[in-house]
Amino acid sequence: MKDREVILSVLRSIERRLWLHRALHEIAYGACVVLFSLIAFQFVGVALSSGVPAVGTGARTAIATAMVMLGVYVAWRALRHVTLAQAAGEADVRARLKDELKSAYCFFSTPEQSPFAQLQIARAAATARHLDPGTIVPGRPPRSLYAVAGLGAVLMLVMWIAPRQSHSWDGADLSAVAAARETRDLRALLEGAPLDPELEKLDGALEELQRADATTEEKARAATRARDAIEQANMEATAAREGLVRLAEAMRANPRFEKAAEALRAGRNEETLALLRQMSAEAGDPDVRAAAKDEPRPLSDIEKGLDGGIEERLAEAGRDLSSINAKVNQDAMDRVVSALQEANQQLEVQSRVTEVKRRMQDAMIPTSQRSALTASQFDSSDNAPNATASPDTGNADIRGGTMFRQGAVTRRNDDDKARDGNMSGSAAGNSEALALEGAATQRLDAQLKLEAVQRRDDAGNDDEKADQGWFYSASQEQKSLLGFEDVRARSNFDRENAMSFESVPIRQKRAVKEYFLNLHESEKK
Amino acid sequence: MNTAVVDRQIQAFREQFQLVRDEISLVIVGNDEIISGVMTCLLVRGHVLLEGIPGVGKTKLVQTMADVLHLKFSRIQFTPDLMPGDIIGTNIVREDESGRKAFEFQHGPIFANMVLADEINRATPKTQSALLEAMQENSVSAAGRTHALDQPFFVLATQNPIEMEGTYPLPEAQMDRFFYKLKLDFPNVEQLHLIVDRTTGQKEPAVRRVLRQGEILEMRETARAIPVARPVQEYAIRVTLATHPESPQAHEMSRKYVRFGSSPRGTQALILGAKVHALMNDRVYVSCEDVRAVALPALRHRILLNFEAEAARIDTDTILAKILEWVPEPKE
Repeated sequence: MKDREVILSVLRSIERRLWLHRALHEIAYGACVVLFSLIAFQFVGVALSSGVPAVGTGARTAIATAMVMLGVYVAWRALRHVTLAQAAGEADVRARLKDELKSAYCFFSTPEQSPFAQLQIARAAATARHLDPGTIVPGRPPRSLYAVAGLGAVLMLVMWIAPRQSHSWDGADLSAVAAARETRDLRALLEGAPLDPELEKLDGALEELQRADATTEEKARAATRARDAIEQANMEATAAREGLVRLAEAMRANPRFEKAAEALRAGRNEETLALLRQMSAEAGDPDVRAAAKDEPRPLSDIEKGLDGGIEERLAEAGRDLSSINAKVNQDAMDRVVSALQEANQQLEVQSRVTEVKRRMQDAMIPTSQRSALTASQFDSSDNAPNATASPDTGNADIRGGTMFRQGAVTRRNDDDKARDGNMSGSAAGNSEALALEGAATQRLDAQLKLEAVQRRDDAGNDDEKADQGWFYSASQEQKSLLGFEDVRARSNFDRENAMSFESVPIRQKRAVKEYFLNLHESEKK
Repeated sequence: MNTAVVDRQIQAFREQFQLVRDEISLVIVGNDEIISGVMTCLLVRGHVLLEGIPGVGKTKLVQTMADVLHLKFSRIQFTPDLMPGDIIGTNIVREDESGRKAFEFQHGPIFANMVLADEINRATPKTQSALLEAMQENSVSAAGRTHALDQPFFVLATQNPIEMEGTYPLPEAQMDRFFYKLKLDFPNVEQLHLIVDRTTGQKEPAVRRVLRQGEILEMRETARAIPVARPVQEYAIRVTLATHPESPQAHEMSRKYVRFGSSPRGTQALILGAKVHALMNDRVYVSCEDVRAVALPALRHRILLNFEAEAARIDTDTILAKILEWVPEPKE
């Protein structure tokens, strides 16, 4: 056999062994990556201790793509051809031949060989004859296979220790199922609730949230609808409460309903309802009915076909009760009972939506509107972003739609309490006040009434000798007016504080608008 | 020429090389690598620059080598007032018997096979250039005529690295003309004992001439005939490129400390030196190990360091050692 063929024969044998060894190594390398990823996944799941980590469809696709790419890469590396020159170089390194085979292979690859090159080829062939390819590239499996076995054992151990974690590929389903279950629980809270349009809206929104194929945008819109419905229900419940307060005030005016009024003020609506029903049954007496028929009664809004809301209906019912001094019209009683039932339903609706809101917040579903400003930033010049107000106009550079007008109604430095609240001035409150331009006030005698306090001695007997203490107190009319204004203000409070889309309070926007509209008109005057 | 003849030629090369080395070792203590380096330069038509502190045997080495080889030897002690004509030779007016006068070229000391340029950095650049031109061209020009130098022509220059006052350091371009730059280290205790024993007795060791001029030329032919495989040549080129700071294959230290890398003459020196090294190791091919063995003397004087290297006291040997560790051997 010629020197060249001897060298080539050895190199081919080494080449085959190298290829097999490399392929095994690359496959083991890919397997190591996969096993390590699985182990890490299991450990992450255990570390989070929140069951199985959530893996969405997108993440699944990415992982599957990564796996496919890894497989292709490993296959490409494993199937790469090993050249004879590479085999010669590897043999030189492993057998410490100092580039002998590599040089010989290079020399006989050239067309013309010098005598020195021929001598080198002959010497390399002699060396190759004594080479054992099995010694140069041993047949034992690569070390990376041991690593694969070790990682496989670790993976099995981890899966055995935490069997639930082994179903991690179902994480996405479980997460979605958990979310859907949470939403179903929320809808269950609304079952059996009184019929209410806001509850229907809320239920519809929750149904949208529950839908598995809903997109993120759809879910966000549904969350917004749910939030709006909750807030609307809360506002209506607030209005109902204010109406109940007014009804209680109205009922107190009538001594016959004093007990029911006390129960209503104490929040015992069911007791109030029972008392009113009892009184309504008693009023079913023909004498009472006959007497009641003699009493002319104005038509309420309900009877007129005008539905002004629960607050107005309660106010109307209360007016019916308070306007009749000793006798109560049966229809008025029915209206009161009906309004009271409706108010109870509103309160029931509110309690349910409050529970829904609380659970949605627990489930990290946004239910409240966001503002960059805290509540205190609207009532204190120190906290306002633009605390330096203009001394002339009360106007300030309004950034972010925030305006501070604390000094619009201000207190003078001379501590004249009589003038408190009736002066207007600049926003900073440090300029000369202008006369308040507002609605005309009522006469004082209409606002106040003179009352006497009858004193009693320690034994509880009336002390006739003692001087009677006379004082002024608010008249019935004034109380009614103030109460009405108070209730109206409070019922409007939430609506006015509700922010617009730009996160600017509607109330603030209106105040700014009116301020500037009236500014020039007041200067003209 | 068949392989048997080549084999004998290689054996002869090794024997003669070893013979010269053994003979020089009778006088020079230690410094086997220096002796091999000088011999290598002689056999690949190169010139050598010897650097070392005074008294370590630079001149003695060259003198001994001249004694061992059947070569014409001359020594030039470089001084600041040395003129080019003192090296090359001058035209003189000679009067014959008939009374006719004619110019005649008087050969300078450079017309020898082996020239010792002692303390070359003490002469002016003008004189240095005259010598270096002769080294490159193997001929000298005087009075409009070119005079070829006898072969082998071999210059051994010495310089002292510590006495820099009143010297003219060789420019980088002229340093590049030297095939090797060899550094003679201070001998150790054992070697000092041997030096004292040999040089302070009644008789100093004598050497015999073991190599003739023709044999040297044959050895030169043999050394150049050694084939180099492409991957090994590529390795030498990679080592050279790694010294170039602007090269994509540059080493990190080269980028940081080197102003100019080795010239192509450096690669030539690597390959030629590696060929002799391979022959001395009974191989008829050059391996990467041979390239590494000769990289320091072949490249250390061809790398120009920057100011940062001077400040950090980084020398070219350190950079080359890092490069040799870093550049991988070709796998195929």
